[in-house]
Amino acid sequence: MSGCPGSRTIDFSEKEGQEGSESGKRPSQLRQWPIQMHLVSPQAPYFQGKDVLLAADCTAFSLGDFHKDYLKGKSIGIACPKLDSDQEVYIEKIKSLIDDAKINTLTVMIMQVPCCFGLAQIAKEGAEKASRKIPVKQVVVGLEGNVLSEEWL
Amino acid sequence: MEKVLNKEVKHVIDSHPEVGRILEEYGIGCAPCSVGSCLMKDVVGIHNLDPQQEATLMYRIEKAIYPDRKVPEPKVDLTKKQAPKKITYSPPVKKLVDEHVLIKRLLALIPAITDHVQMSAKVDKDLILNCVDFIRTYADKYHHMKEEDILFKYVDEKAEIIQIMYKDHDTGRNHVRQAVEGAEKGNKAQIKEHLLGYKDLLTQHIKKEDEILYPWIDRQLSTTQVGEMFRKCNEADASVGDALPRKYEKFIVELEKKFLQEVKK
Repeated sequence: MSGCPGSRTIDFSEKEGQEGSESGKRPSQLRQWPIQMHLVSPQAPYFQGKDVLLAADCTAFSLGDFHKDYLKGKSIGIACPKLDSDQEVYIEKIKSLIDDAKINTLTVMIMQVPCCFGLAQIAKEGAEKASRKIPVKQVVVGLEGNVLSEEWL
Repeated sequence: MEKVLNKEVKHVIDSHPEVGRILEEYGIGCAPCSVGSCLMKDVVGIHNLDPQQEATLMYRIEKAIYPDRKVPEPKVDLTKKQAPKKITYSPPVKKLVDEHVLIKRLLALIPAITDHVQMSAKVDKDLILNCVDFIRTYADKYHHMKEEDILFKYVDEKAEIIQIMYKDHDTGRNHVRQAVEGAEKGNKAQIKEHLLGYKDLLTQHIKKEDEILYPWIDRQLSTTQVGEMFRKCNEADASVGDALPRKYEKFIVELEKKFLQEVKK
């Protein structure tokens, strides 16, 4: 069990007591396209004045109720702080989302692995560069899909 | 027990003082409250105890009121969210908490100020009126108005705890009026009574807000509402300008220089 925690192999397929409710269908709460941070434009109408979720790629696969609990009512940008290139573009886009799209809040959702905190840093830098100030929240997701912390920065 | 939960806390404590002591053990300081019109059920709910604590508290209260009754063991609803260990605030609420700090710095100086007034041959009217200006402009207009015009609008304003906050604001304004009257007449006793009265009132008021009311409001706010409230508070601050908080911070620093040195002498 050594090496990067972000790419270390862990198998929790035997985990029990995680059935949850299987009844009913969960509609998607996604209300926009595209979603990847390199592809989205801060000028897009779906960002104007909205609450924005900046989600690390893995979070949506980890959290069972990602759509219901976190995406609902928000616009989204997704990114991977470990693998994506040209991440300085993300800082400028966040600045533009705050100053130009005048977003209401920014929630940055990351995995608990150390490299994922880079996305929180990008969000903070973008927010600091912006002339408008908005509330920024950080949500940290555990590897087994549990929310470890949720706090305003 | 349902009947007890729907009674005013003061009424319950008056008829069963043990309940006040039990509440105190759980950090719920209702016993000395002069108003006490919150309902028992709201008092328990607003403190956001963890389920085990809440169930045990209710069990003990019921046993205190009905000692002969066979009270069932506490039922614990473990699906309820655990209370956070430390108080954290959303950014707009945190700003209001930060504003309390400057107000508390004035409150801390009030005993030294009233002592100074008592010992002076003539009442320093300007000193009192400058303190009143801080209270009326910074504490009341700049800070309390954001609470009344913005923060309280996000919850049920008819809730007892909000009504108590409004009542505290009014009582505070009355103390200030009386202190001004004392300064105008040169009545040292009147100044002392009402400045100390204001200090005691606001000290408790701020403690209630920081530890109970603000976290309770924060728990009810959605992310969207936090963003809206942040914007409204910023707009309210921008409407008076940066110079106002800077001016009153400077006033407190100068007052501290004068009176903290006097205390040290």
